[in-house]
Amino acid sequence: MNWREFQAKQKAIEIGDRFVSYVDEGAGEPIILIHGIPTWGYLWHKLIPVLSKQNRVLAPDLAGFGYSDKRDNFDRAIDKQAELIDAWMNETGVEAAHIVAHDIGGGVALRLATLFPNRVKKLCVMNGVSYDSWAIEAMIQLGHPSAYKIASASTSVHTLRQMLKQGFAETPEDEILDGIFAPYTTEVGKLSLIRNATALNTNLTTGITHLLPQIEAETLILWGVDDKFQLLKYGERLADDIPNARLVKIENARHFVMIDQPEIVAEYVSNFLK
Amino acid sequence: MFGFGKPKQVAETEADGEIERVYHEIKQGLRVSGINLNFRTWAGYEKFFPAMWDAMRPVAETRAFETAADEVRAESVRTAETLTRIGAKSNANLGESQRYQIEKALELYHYINPKLLVLTAKVRQALENEAAQTQNELPKNTELIERGIPVKMYPMEMISEEPDDAEIVAIFEDIKKTLELSSINSDYRTFGLWKNYLAAFWRELKPIVESMEYEQASNELRETARKSASDLPPISLSKKQVEELGEDADEILKTTEKFEKLLPSLVINISLLSLDGKTTNELVKSPFPAATRKQGGQKR
Repeated sequence: MNWREFQAKQKAIEIGDRFVSYVDEGAGEPIILIHGIPTWGYLWHKLIPVLSKQNRVLAPDLAGFGYSDKRDNFDRAIDKQAELIDAWMNETGVEAAHIVAHDIGGGVALRLATLFPNRVKKLCVMNGVSYDSWAIEAMIQLGHPSAYKIASASTSVHTLRQMLKQGFAETPEDEILDGIFAPYTTEVGKLSLIRNATALNTNLTTGITHLLPQIEAETLILWGVDDKFQLLKYGERLADDIPNARLVKIENARHFVMIDQPEIVAEYVSNFLK
Repeated sequence: MFGFGKPKQVAETEADGEIERVYHEIKQGLRVSGINLNFRTWAGYEKFFPAMWDAMRPVAETRAFETAADEVRAESVRTAETLTRIGAKSNANLGESQRYQIEKALELYHYINPKLLVLTAKVRQALENEAAQTQNELPKNTELIERGIPVKMYPMEMISEEPDDAEIVAIFEDIKKTLELSSINSDYRTFGLWKNYLAAFWRELKPIVESMEYEQASNELRETARKSASDLPPISLSKKQVEELGEDADEILKTTEKFEKLLPSLVINISLLSLDGKTTNELVKSPFPAATRKQGGQKR
């Protein structure tokens, strides 16, 4: 599926002053898929058709990402994103859901599981941020205050695209990379992505480390073992700290494990959420 | 033809120094989330542009200016209602989020375009004067409106004027040829974010803009804006001042006239597109009503 087809599936809902775009497919027990940076809901386009056969699957674009609100007047840090997801769940009629999350979406999910535990039934974190595992250098550079002026949107996207290829076991087809970066090819999109990068804050995961042992939700830690952005050791540590957690190592996969090994990931997630 | 030969447009990301300062001021003072083609083009005249804005700003922040633009907007909606209706939103096979964002983008331009038209008319009138009608201070009881970008205003997001997508390139070329433009206005670049929508509405809009009724409506709206502009307090800007800055006042005047010629049609187009989903009664009201600023007159 190309990104335009995915975008056309998105709904929109206002949450206070902001709006959230999201895909909502299937029926049954709800599953919420939370992406990371610099992606958006499109990240999950291979997983959604599999999961939506049995479940209602919702994939929001976090605030400032994808085709959600990109105005330059709100905080995009993961604590605010978790609060937004909490409010968005009210608006979409979801009391509690299985949460599947990647990269900084993993940080959002950990905050939901620790601070909004009633919202989370089962938790699946894929190569997510945790502890002091982030922000990676490329994102720190992206979030530099002068980044907006240094390069045009097209140059920024080109640079990021090259960098992001390190996150895949094999360089994916252009359609996928085009899709990931589509929302950020304008100057507004670029600025929004920079603001998202600026908002990356390690304290928002280190600050909940002591709460991880209190997570009651059954948890699957799914990790592309060759990830250079979020190292496997953090996945192992999460599996140790969260009481009811299991670590699954996915071979021949890097950061974007759901793109590198879509069938294997879909099988693990489907079985876990049954 | 819009022959902006001399001035290079200054994009927001390229602005620095005085131009950057003025861009910031424009967004705050005009209450808009981005910098339109008018300003990006005027900014190519780097001495003129800050002088123009510093002269225009006190008036642009008055209730009288806001009301003048409100009246232009309302007239545009009533005029658009008499023209052939557009159904692009239904015909473009859009998703719910895409529709939502198009509505928000329409609100943005429905708000700012009438203000641009009045402002441009005012600047054109000033440039036709040999000497400025100077006025150091607005009357003490002048009502000013609040500054700042409205919280829910959609960002002025635009695709490149030279996009990679061949279909959009073809539409932009047709728009330029039909409307005799050398640059694509912000509006069309914004709607390029939704290719299906851009294609659908341009297919429907093109025969309308080529009609006599449309031309007459544009002319009448321009006259309304001119009258409103001349009723506003004078601004400290003149041909002589511009020449003293070392700028080519005649060239700037020509550029300004071309914008003044184009803008009524942009205002009407947005009204036409907005009527595709909203009622006249909804659209004659400002999408972003401005509260009164809590202070008195303002020094220049």
